[in-house]
Amino acid sequence: MPDIIEGPPDAEAPRPPLHRRLAWFIALALAGMAATGAVAYALRALLGLE
Amino acid sequence: MEFDALLLSRIQFAFTIAFHIIFPSFTIGLASYLAVLEGLWLLTRNETFKTLYLFWVKIFALSFGMGVVSGVVMSYQLGTNWSVFSAVAGPVIGPLFAFEVLAAFFLEASFLGVMLFGWKKVGPGLHFASTVLVAFGTLTSAFWIISANSWMQSPSGFAGTVEEGLVAVNWLQVIFSPTFPMRLTHMVLAAYLTTALVVAAASAFRLLKDASEAESAMALKMAIGMLAIVAPLQLLAGDLSGKDVLEHQPAKLAAIEAFWETRSEQAFHIAAWPDREIEGNHWELSIPKLGSLITAGAMDAEVQGLTAFAPEDRPPVFIVFWAFRVMVGLGLAMIALGFWGAWLAWRGRTTRSPAFLRACVAMGPAGFVAVISGWIVAEVGRQPYVIYGVLRTEDAVSPIGAGAVSASLLAFLVVYAIVFSVGALYILRLLAEGPVAGAHEPPPRENRAPGTPLAATPEDPGPSGQETR
Repeated sequence: MPDIIEGPPDAEAPRPPLHRRLAWFIALALAGMAATGAVAYALRALLGLE
Repeated sequence: MEFDALLLSRIQFAFTIAFHIIFPSFTIGLASYLAVLEGLWLLTRNETFKTLYLFWVKIFALSFGMGVVSGVVMSYQLGTNWSVFSAVAGPVIGPLFAFEVLAAFFLEASFLGVMLFGWKKVGPGLHFASTVLVAFGTLTSAFWIISANSWMQSPSGFAGTVEEGLVAVNWLQVIFSPTFPMRLTHMVLAAYLTTALVVAAASAFRLLKDASEAESAMALKMAIGMLAIVAPLQLLAGDLSGKDVLEHQPAKLAAIEAFWETRSEQAFHIAAWPDREIEGNHWELSIPKLGSLITAGAMDAEVQGLTAFAPEDRPPVFIVFWAFRVMVGLGLAMIALGFWGAWLAWRGRTTRSPAFLRACVAMGPAGFVAVISGWIVAEVGRQPYVIYGVLRTEDAVSPIGAGAVSASLLAFLVVYAIVFSVGALYILRLLAEGPVAGAHEPPPRENRAPGTPLAATPEDPGPSGQETR
């Protein structure tokens, strides 16, 4: 089974440009936030709250 | 004893919160440990720290998930089982819980994704920032939850009555209630100790099988350092927290020490059999005058006993007295383990003492037991109040039937037994496997038969042309 937790990049591997790394950072953070929000609203909907 | 909605609701809350506290008390310390490991790896590029990080981050992710699931249940019970409490105290305590979710939980949830799935994508610097933010999030979470609970122990900064509802008049006094600073310190140190004990136990377990495992040896040394420094500090923090209890919850302190009469030169009861019916102890093993010295700082200090309070205002004594002794006893054992480990480390024999390694394994669950015991002291000792001196527990329960609470309690018992048994067993299996150096490295290149299309490629490019794992 593939390991879903990502390890660090190889020391010799070329580093992606800063804007790309920042874009991933923001995208992953927003995805985490959105997932949390989605679960919260799903629970509210399940309880029939407005 | 009648199993009415009140008693069943208390049992349900006690059961679910005792399960829940296991996870945050572990993840608060583990998140900080991960930040330290990653920081050390960035500074030294020592592969041992990286291997340890990649091992413990898996345990952290599982524990964090189980903590979230068990925590959601708690907030719903405030509405289903304790709706009167919510209606009366909601305007004061509700925002504290909201701040916990908005300021802490979202911080943790947001950057956990980067931590788990983004090391290659964001690079080492931003990944380290994410780990630090998650660790900061766990501490912020502890801040708000302990703030809310401390307000229930020593309410301040509010106005109003139970009948008309409570409102905050000074938010700083609500957030920083008198017992809050030392209770937060006590809880955070307890979380660090809990994590150190689990790390020490898992590492010792591996070292008993293979004493040459460098990763486990390093983790054990780090855990010993934490125990040797933090366990004595915890004793000091606990003592200062006890002084707060003397000042703000004297009935709880009297129950903790099984003091019945108000007098100076109170004895310290090492063990006793307190009984509310006889308003005394059936037997006691005591040291004269030490009770006044420990609780009030002077042997001739007068300390209130339980008979100074009306019978209906006294907390259950037996549970509080013994839960406190379990917590303190384990705390002293932690100090002893830390000093033993430090002495062995000084002599360079940490990994070569089977007796010490077995003691570490045996003490692995001690942090969890001590944390739960401490919370029993805090919560049972606050009885018969849910908000100390303001709202009684019997007046805070929802107007629901015992049948409904029995059904939900039964459901919790079954679901928790299944879900958390599976989760805990999986975590234990991972712990037993231990950290494996190179577990996250790309697989070695396969030997390909000469003449095949990929025989000349330096690495398998994978289906998308990128590196595979």
